[in-house]
Amino acid sequence: MKYMKRKNAQLKIQQMAFVLIAVTLLFALVGLFFLRFAFSGMKESATELQEKNALLLISKLANSPEFSCGESFGAKKTNCVDFEKVISLKEHIDKYRNFWEVSNIEIRKVLSENEKICTYQNYPNCDIIRIYDNEIQGYGADNFVSLCRKEFSAEAIGIYDKCEIAKMTIFYKEVS
Amino acid sequence: MEKGYLQISFAWLFAFLAGAFIIFLAIYASKAFIQNSDEVQDTKTSKEIGILLNPLETGFETGKTTSINMPSETRIQNRCDIFGTFGKQLISTSKKSFGKWTKTDRLVDFENKYIFSEDIVEGEKFYIFSKPFYFPFKVSDLIYLTSSKERYCFKDTPDRIENEIKSLNQKNIILNNCSETDIKVCFSLNINGKCDINVDYNSKIVKKNNKIMHFEYDSLMYAAVFSSPEIYECQLKRLMKRTEQLALIYNDKAALISYKVGCNSNLNLLALKNLANNLESSANLNSVNLIVEDIQEKNKVANCKLW
Repeated sequence: MKYMKRKNAQLKIQQMAFVLIAVTLLFALVGLFFLRFAFSGMKESATELQEKNALLLISKLANSPEFSCGESFGAKKTNCVDFEKVISLKEHIDKYRNFWEVSNIEIRKVLSENEKICTYQNYPNCDIIRIYDNEIQGYGADNFVSLCRKEFSAEAIGIYDKCEIAKMTIFYKEVS
Repeated sequence: MEKGYLQISFAWLFAFLAGAFIIFLAIYASKAFIQNSDEVQDTKTSKEIGILLNPLETGFETGKTTSINMPSETRIQNRCDIFGTFGKQLISTSKKSFGKWTKTDRLVDFENKYIFSEDIVEGEKFYIFSKPFYFPFKVSDLIYLTSSKERYCFKDTPDRIENEIKSLNQKNIILNNCSETDIKVCFSLNINGKCDINVDYNSKIVKKNNKIMHFEYDSLMYAAVFSSPEIYECQLKRLMKRTEQLALIYNDKAALISYKVGCNSNLNLLALKNLANNLESSANLNSVNLIVEDIQEKNKVANCKLW
């Protein structure tokens, strides 16, 4: 009788232990599911913030000191990008890697049919300036700017300012 | 007489202990989750504030003002770090929830922003105005952050500053007619000594919290007025770091123009770069400014202006 009682108690303890393990597992699974859900929301928020940053930055980037023409080409101009300055910026770009928190910045001459990437060597006979890398990835936000530079003419004019219409695009990546 | 024992079976005891453990875990997890959600929200808010400052980049305007309204009482912590190529602007926010400030250790950093404010700014509405800083080329737009809870009263201001403040029309900056609670900013030697901040345009110094901050140009004067001395000194060093990099870019641009179109500018940009790099504190700003003024004059009359 006593033996039977002890066996019965052991069985109950075992049952209880199994139930507890099952309950703990259930909690853990629910927790994992919830965390996954919460983190996917965070990734979406981070991407949204990247997009917001790009959209707000594009309207003003051309006026930032590293790009703007200032008074180099006559009167002060807004949305004017200094071609020579940008080419020089490309030479120091490693220091600017996290500066604007975007994946790339592209300035493309609108009226040009070619796709020649600009470097310090081939400037100004090129069509596209890519600030960080020559490859582009992700989504873009763009704005039209004037791309100005100094030119020299062997005829009577001498040194003159040349401005072309260009499209400035900021690229950002989706947070993975 | 038989003694009475409280008889609890092992199964019950086990269930109690395990139940208590599960309840403890659940409470702990919920608390951690709420804390984490608050921290995520605060970090997101900090990032959003930084992003919202992007449109404050000025074209050629003298100053721009805007305001940010928070859904609840918020604390913005302003920190500055000088390490790295450009240093970092760090901000964190915490909001009041059930009478307590949420705790956040996560700081959001920006390399391209310069916010001048007290170490902690508190309120529901924040005013932000920006002004470009030229040294001698445009270095950046300086952002001045204040709370609507604090009202600054400018006394005996020079006409130029008075006109600028009038045109800014920022609700928490007033001219003269100060009340007791206002933060008084005096531009003349105040005999009564009732000024919280003293600006001396002759010596180009701002005295605040018994500390002296040196400035050049109006944009830095405002920066010294609205920020704590520690933030001011740190942000100034960051501005010098950017000046240094821009001087290198302009130096390369000068070489490029000289090579491609044969137009020489002969500006001593490398000297500026070195002086900016060696700036110890605002007390040395004047010595850097001497070369800045020289470069500025030469650029003005150059055939090919660099900026």
